[in-house]
Amino acid sequence: MKKEMICIICPLGCSLTVNYTQKAIQSVEGNQCERSLDYAEKEIFNPERTLTTTVRVKQGHLPLVSVRTNKPLPKKLLFDAMDLLAEIEVEAPIKIGHKIAENLFNTGVDAVATKNVGRSQRNQ
Amino acid sequence: MRDVLSRNIDLIVVGGGPAGLAAAISARKEGIKDLLIVERNNWLGGILPQCIHDGFGLIIFKETLTGPEYAQKYIDEVKKLEIPYMVDSMVLEITPEKDVIVSSPKGLFVFHAKAIILAMGCRERTRGQIRIPGSRPAGVYTAGVAQNLVNLKNFMVGKNIVVLGSGDIGLIMTRRLTLEGAKVHAVAEILPYPSGLPRNIQQCLIDYDVPLLLSHTVTEIQGQNRVEAVVVSQVDENFKPIEGTQQRIPCDTLLLSIGLIPENELSKTCGVDLNQITGGAVVKENLETSVQGIFACGNTLQVHDVVDYVSLEAEKAGKSAAEYVLGKQRKVKRIQTEAGNGIRYVLPHFIRRNADLELFMRVTCPGKDKYIGVFDGRKLVKRRKFRKIHPAEMIKMRLKGSETKNIKGLRVEVLEK
Amino acid sequence: MVGCALAREFSKFELKTVLVEKEGDVCCGVSKANSGVLHTGLYYKKGSLKARLCVEGRLMFKKLVKELDVSCTLCGKHVVARTEEEIKDLERLRDVGEANGVRGLTIISRDLAKKREPNVDSLGALYSPVAGIVSPYLFTIALAENASSNGVNVYLNTKVVGIKQVNEGFRVTTTQGDFHADIVINSAGLYADRIASMVGIDQYQLYPCRGEYLVLDKDSRGLISGMVYPVPPKVAGVLGVHLTPTIDGNMLIGPSAEFIDVREDTRTTEEKILELMTEAKDLLPSISLKAVIYAFSGVRSKITPPGEKEARDFIIQEDLAGFINLIGIESPGLTSSPAIAKLVVQMVKEKRDIRQKKDFNPIGRKTVRFHETPREKQSSLVNEDPAYGEMVCRCEHVTKREVLDALNNPFGAKTIAAVKYRTRAGMGRCHGGFCLPKIVEILEKEYGMAAEEMTLKNTDSPLFIGRTKDLRKKGA
Repeated sequence: MKKEMICIICPLGCSLTVNYTQKAIQSVEGNQCERSLDYAEKEIFNPERTLTTTVRVKQGHLPLVSVRTNKPLPKKLLFDAMDLLAEIEVEAPIKIGHKIAENLFNTGVDAVATKNVGRSQRNQ
Repeated sequence: MRDVLSRNIDLIVVGGGPAGLAAAISARKEGIKDLLIVERNNWLGGILPQCIHDGFGLIIFKETLTGPEYAQKYIDEVKKLEIPYMVDSMVLEITPEKDVIVSSPKGLFVFHAKAIILAMGCRERTRGQIRIPGSRPAGVYTAGVAQNLVNLKNFMVGKNIVVLGSGDIGLIMTRRLTLEGAKVHAVAEILPYPSGLPRNIQQCLIDYDVPLLLSHTVTEIQGQNRVEAVVVSQVDENFKPIEGTQQRIPCDTLLLSIGLIPENELSKTCGVDLNQITGGAVVKENLETSVQGIFACGNTLQVHDVVDYVSLEAEKAGKSAAEYVLGKQRKVKRIQTEAGNGIRYVLPHFIRRNADLELFMRVTCPGKDKYIGVFDGRKLVKRRKFRKIHPAEMIKMRLKGSETKNIKGLRVEVLEK
Repeated sequence: MVGCALAREFSKFELKTVLVEKEGDVCCGVSKANSGVLHTGLYYKKGSLKARLCVEGRLMFKKLVKELDVSCTLCGKHVVARTEEEIKDLERLRDVGEANGVRGLTIISRDLAKKREPNVDSLGALYSPVAGIVSPYLFTIALAENASSNGVNVYLNTKVVGIKQVNEGFRVTTTQGDFHADIVINSAGLYADRIASMVGIDQYQLYPCRGEYLVLDKDSRGLISGMVYPVPPKVAGVLGVHLTPTIDGNMLIGPSAEFIDVREDTRTTEEKILELMTEAKDLLPSISLKAVIYAFSGVRSKITPPGEKEARDFIIQEDLAGFINLIGIESPGLTSSPAIAKLVVQMVKEKRDIRQKKDFNPIGRKTVRFHETPREKQSSLVNEDPAYGEMVCRCEHVTKREVLDALNNPFGAKTIAAVKYRTRAGMGRCHGGFCLPKIVEILEKEYGMAAEEMTLKNTDSPLFIGRTKDLRKKGA
């Protein structure tokens, strides 16, 4: 089987042509580095993406804290992760790197804060 | 102006976004003591805190950071170096004598500045500027405003979206809104090729099955009070809508990602010469503008696509401002650069010769396996091969001092063969 | 505008006066979507209401704008001739104007015209020194707010759905309840014919006629010194596009004139935008269309049917005892508005005994425009009130205090439009790019508004569908 894809590892965004069977990659064309070979394999058999989004904050000087997954999540879990994170309200203060949600769907991937949010001055 | 609080200062940095922060840090490190960052939002970091996606910092920090994380690195440094800053403060005017008038809840201030670094960033092109016909309902947002509302203020702009413009901001917001539960029905792009990075086409459109309509534009907005639909049409080679190709797409939101315009109102008030093509100041290689002691960097100078380059450019501006303030600036003869065939603009506009130099440019059309050449009249000074060139990606070319020795002119072109 | 002028005029008398408006604020229709011009009375037939009320109204403006604290400038107008035939038209226009009592009209030579308007080419021009510009929305809002402070109750979001003649007056049924009125003044503009027919006055027919405009960046203001109009065209298909400076420093190109089917159709069209651009460039070659920052339109209430050559006059008559109709108040409606109001009050006075109030206060609320205030005064404003120091609109330099003052209007209008038309926030070149999130934050933090309550101009124009997580949360 053949698939066309764009490698997203770096801004070059090489257009790859991947030949593969149900079990393995046969060939990759169009890449300019080694990393895209790994990317191509993952993308065919187990595509994953880093998720960046926001989570609601309680008692913070901002209503939302931006978060990221510390590792890529399987692509098929992205919307489920969004649903899960939508239910969370995290209390300020929050520091960059603070774990907002751990081990999402048993993947070993955490969602961590990417912004500092201080405590609000006024009562909310 | 007797009752207005005024004082002398070495350096005012207008804007506390990535450019302003990096410039201030660099100026402080070069020895400027008395400086101030003036920022009109109530946060530092400029546009970065709302850019919650990653991909920032690959060049400077060798890791992929989100916008807020990238900003924090500079904010931490500003705090560590105890660089003074004011938020909720806006520069209303800069006079040609370098008086900087600032309005803030703390008062109206006038700073008699020795040097000024302009780092105001850019604004988004609006619906009105491209004159999209139709009604004027609620639900028409530029992508950056939508990003602010969704990511900072916690407001969801709509449920059924159409995006006009396939630049990176439009693509990023397509993904963002889709993840938050909206449906993006289409991204229309007037050019026959996407204007954003291919990786964003993959991770923002292809990943979510969002149709990309190339050579299309929005020809009508419908809905008396709130957007009810948009009409998209195909365009010809002259970007004129082709009769009969109209498609009505019911939606409640139109997101516009149709270009960024460097903000230069203040540059105008102080008499800085602006370049028509970039929309930013005319600068020398040290980023000084046509007014002595006023420097420009970041999106206010030229719209960037990679924030790391903004920081590096700003660092340079900070150094130059410090040089100026400390009396170390040398008078130097310069020649004017020229954008030749296939090149939309080249920066800086004036360069000194016999010194290492970095040129920044954008091409007019995408291409593969092209050479970009630097010429002195008919003589080829340097050329470099590029696998891929695209108007959406700024190109940097380094020249060594030896390469610009005694050149009479400098013209950059995309070579035909 | 006429309705608000009437409300103010009636508020000078010991009467209980009520102003009902179907939209979410005053000044939502064509009153905000016109050229903002104080006409001299050049074009109107001698002896007509238009001619008389225009001249009368214009003379009343000087005092009125001072009382209401609204800016008005006599920037003058040049009607330019570009052919020899058109020079003759200038003479005709001058004669009509003079017969109507307009003073100071002079025909000037090509050279003098070039001196006055260096960027316009012409063979000569008719110069009218007393033509002026005013902000039509600031004027309307100021009229309404002064009327309100003098006891007029303004009911917004109140649509009249039926009127019945009863003993001693009328029962007016609205979406917010019934009113009993001795006197009804129908100044419903585009819907005046429908209101009239609610009481059986069926002879009026309005023909909605849309006018589209382009707004240019303030950077282009310097291209003209005053209004520049071509000679009114006689051929079909030519708009005769006007170039009008605005009191705030923009330039308007327009209006077009197009009869439309649906009265609410305030769309701007590709076709007209192109025509406006072409004719503008023809009149003023140095105009850069890159300078266009906005396009809008307003719909005129015309009583002159399409095809009828001569424009019909205003209709201001008491068709039923106690029921006064104002039909077809289009240009020079703005200029005439104070005189129209005086005329209607006069009509009422003739039949009824109404007493003048002793305590009518003609002075409108003083509004601070930070942007137009000298620096020393700006400094003391900020020192007294830090909200003057925080910029909300960066293009027009509108401060937080001005935004709060706008939202604290006496009618309770808390829409983005209510802020826009009172402060200019959102009218600059970035068109809300900076100020919209800030205004939204003010609505949230200072007024406790929920996301769904925030609207652009009325309850049908919500800005948001809710909060960021609403579509994802359980039960979404």
